[in-house]
Amino acid sequence: MAALSAKLLSGAFVVTSECGPPQHGDGAFLRKRASYFRAGVDAVNITDNQTGIVRMSSIAAARIILEEGLEPVIQMTCRDRNRIAMQSDLLGAAALGIENVLCLTGDHQRFGNHPEARGVFDIDSVQLVSMVRRMNEGFFLSGETIEPKPRFFIGAAANPFAEPFGFRISRLGKKVDAGARFIQTQAVFDLQRFREWMREVRESGLHEQTAILAGVLPVRSAKALRYMKEEVSGISIPDSLVARMDKAADPKEEGIRIAAETIRALRGEAGVRGIHLMPVMWESVTPRILQESGLVKT
Amino acid sequence: MADGIQQKLSTKGRPYSSGERRLSGAMLLFENAVKIPVFRCQRCGECILSHTAFICSQRCPKRLRNGPCGGTRPKGRCEVYPERQCVWHQIVRRSRIMRRSGFLRRMEKMHNWDLEKTSAWLNVFTRRIDWPTLFLKEKKRGRTER
Repeated sequence: MAALSAKLLSGAFVVTSECGPPQHGDGAFLRKRASYFRAGVDAVNITDNQTGIVRMSSIAAARIILEEGLEPVIQMTCRDRNRIAMQSDLLGAAALGIENVLCLTGDHQRFGNHPEARGVFDIDSVQLVSMVRRMNEGFFLSGETIEPKPRFFIGAAANPFAEPFGFRISRLGKKVDAGARFIQTQAVFDLQRFREWMREVRESGLHEQTAILAGVLPVRSAKALRYMKEEVSGISIPDSLVARMDKAADPKEEGIRIAAETIRALRGEAGVRGIHLMPVMWESVTPRILQESGLVKT
Repeated sequence: MADGIQQKLSTKGRPYSSGERRLSGAMLLFENAVKIPVFRCQRCGECILSHTAFICSQRCPKRLRNGPCGGTRPKGRCEVYPERQCVWHQIVRRSRIMRRSGFLRRMEKMHNWDLEKTSAWLNVFTRRIDWPTLFLKEKKRGRTER
């Protein structure tokens, strides 16, 4: 087991993909989604109530994905739980055989379907990374020992496309120092900015201490792309890309082509150890994209 | 050994005695009178103003202490309240001007919510939190410290 850490260690190009759990309690939904990830995806990220919308628990969904024979990565945000609940959930995840954790601060609850909820933010993502690492070392935050120790493979996120650009590398450095062994980035549309960021990453040597997985988000319409450009903060989308989607006769095909081209470009970038697909509500496209980009042989 | 790491991750101190509560209340009369108008202090009781170029980081809607979240909008606007500047964007900018960027690369401790709305000055004197650091001995990024 621990396929993800082993694969990263072997130096192979890794593919992870995101899967949002359903807004109901029927596991069949996930079992169906799992079939899209069988070929070519090394690990499946299970989101944790992303954008503050209530969904099936990330850990429960990850267990279903695990039972389907795939390697899950649970995402854990600091928005909904304090350090007591998070440590408890992590122990539960370990008991269920889940080994990968992606530590996130989490979207603010104001954007979700319960904007009146209390945002917890007891600790932040950097501190969450250090907390999981400390649990790996056999200690609760209180200093009491955990025996046997859990063994989590710890990841974190990075956003090369948000201000303040000058600080993004320092923040990545903090996460790596805290113990993040892999990094999944925000979706790359703006290759130029991403390359600039990667150059800074290489200069600081961080790519040797952690595995950078570049985010790729396939879009299926010009409308969706424009919505992301205007509404979703922390994503940079060049105008040329919007124009290209506008002109396309078959926007879905064009979206797949753009994603495949992005993946090829990212594979050529020194220091990028893999990609992280984010097919939001379009999981079925995953096999196509992997084929088109040459990551899976037909 | 375990305690050493513990100290690094979070502050931990004796709970307040009732005498200390009263003293804290009295000190807050002065502390708030200065810190609220000058720094828009949010009264976390664990002041790290000296690390953040004297801008209160606790104005962040997520109350982050280790830098901005990934949602900052173009021109450094806050994701949650776009009419505001991201407080971390301001901190990063002012730290550069004041040559205090080294502080931002350090790991900040976890919140000790037990200290919320207590006097940070009292907490310094009772050793519950660290003294403000006015100058940082510049050292190379301690990547190997792990």
